[in-house]
Amino acid sequence: MLDLQGIAKHFGGVRAVDGVDLTVKRGEILGLIGPNGSGKSTIVNLVSGLFPLTSGRILFNGDDISDLPSHARVGLGIARTFQNIRLFGQLSVWQNLWVAQNSRLQRQEMFFKRWFGGSAGVQAEIGRTLEFFDLAHKRDELAANLSFGEQRRLEFARAISARPNLLLLDEPAAGMNAEEVDQLDARIRKMRDEGFTVLLIEHHVELVMSVADRIAVLNFGRKIAEGPPAAVQDDAAVREAYLGTR
Amino acid sequence: MIDFIQNTIDGVMIGASYGLLALGFTVIFGVMRRLNLSYGPTIMIGAYFGTVLYLHFGAGLLAVAAAVVVGAVISGIYVERLCFAPMKAGAGIASMVSSFAIWMQLEQAAVLVLPRHTYPFPPLVTGPALEIGPLLVRPDHLIMLTGALLLAAVVQLALYRTRFGLGLRAVIANPIAANLVGVDVGRLVVLAFAAASAIGGVAGFLVLAVDQQVTPMFGMWATLKGLIAMMIGGLGSIPGALLGGLLLGVVEVHSHWLFGPQVRDLFAYFVLFAFLVARPGGLLGRTIDVELSHRA
Repeated sequence: MLDLQGIAKHFGGVRAVDGVDLTVKRGEILGLIGPNGSGKSTIVNLVSGLFPLTSGRILFNGDDISDLPSHARVGLGIARTFQNIRLFGQLSVWQNLWVAQNSRLQRQEMFFKRWFGGSAGVQAEIGRTLEFFDLAHKRDELAANLSFGEQRRLEFARAISARPNLLLLDEPAAGMNAEEVDQLDARIRKMRDEGFTVLLIEHHVELVMSVADRIAVLNFGRKIAEGPPAAVQDDAAVREAYLGTR
Repeated sequence: MIDFIQNTIDGVMIGASYGLLALGFTVIFGVMRRLNLSYGPTIMIGAYFGTVLYLHFGAGLLAVAAAVVVGAVISGIYVERLCFAPMKAGAGIASMVSSFAIWMQLEQAAVLVLPRHTYPFPPLVTGPALEIGPLLVRPDHLIMLTGALLLAAVVQLALYRTRFGLGLRAVIANPIAANLVGVDVGRLVVLAFAAASAIGGVAGFLVLAVDQQVTPMFGMWATLKGLIAMMIGGLGSIPGALLGGLLLGVVEVHSHWLFGPQVRDLFAYFVLFAFLVARPGGLLGRTIDVELSHRA
């Protein structure tokens, strides 16, 4: 589904991402881990189109999307969350989701309904998403007034409400306590069951080991290992990157 | 006492025109935070579209109104493409200065097309003023006031109840995040400029049809009055824009009556000054949308 071919991003002399090949298959959860500064978040930013590639190509369902603007990539079905929460604070919870909805459902709507609050179908879908993220009781609250945990869930919900084919999760567990991480774990599994494809960038190694089908490991902008969780865990290069040489 | 009431009524009527002009300004500057000094001149260009149609083709009132709105929208998009689209976010000063340059350009273009200083504009309605007891009210003033109230309601509804308005407010709150949830930010900003110019076109048509004349200076007048009314009313508030316009009109008419035409504008600026010192947020101003951002 997503095919990164030798992508690189250099900031001046810093090679944040330095020639990475990576493939995400339909329906899988691919975990991307690595020490601080290894280039994980840069890869998410490149895939979502936040800044241009230095070299390489990004293919999505076989099409080259390297030069498409961000909003067009969302239109193709690539959605993301942010490590640092970026909600629309003065919009209510359900309005945050409505803005993000540009699904087929939305486009088929009559002009009037599309512009004035959405049909029963759109409202029902927003309701389901809010239910799934345990936010239904906060539907009309301003996003700025939510607690930290609720804002994280809303951001997750906003990414889902675009009905993406591919979901990029950038450090979703950052700042969460153990209980919240467990809930997150359950939600990500449930989303795979519903057919989402997920690229999960995460510091929390336990979470990635638990939910990912495959794991790729980055260090200094290069991929040093890739494979099933158990195999990656025992990889010598990975142990060296995380623990240092003995 | 009768004079005082009559002056207040006249002030409200004049103020309705200021409120109309402030509405479009509120969308562009109050909500989108882009200071477009060419806003008035784009309306003036629309008015010239209408005047040319009226003078040379004998167009009726509705056709003139449509021409004013279309002309204002076209020149509004022209200004956005030239002054605002190429500038990166945060280069607000560069956009403002270039919009000043376009102001001069539009004014010269108008003088080239119709070189005389003043041209006639078709009247909204003709006929005597309505007598309500001892008070007089012009019927075209009433239409203008009604138009201002209706337009304010439409803009308020569009900003807070439609997908377009939500998208716009999302873009203002966080352009990067809006782009990454699939909002085409560039397209939305052009649309907002076009919408603001259409509002300006309606405002300009009503004001000119009451004055029954148009000059190239109308652009400057519209920018000044709209800006002052918006700042008195409060940045980003639609009811505030209307209220600010009405207050400005009432103050102007009373000072005109009491101290003569020379000090009329002096009082207008004094009211603005007093508000900036004592209540910089304006009558109904609110704090601006703040980006939510937590360090993880």
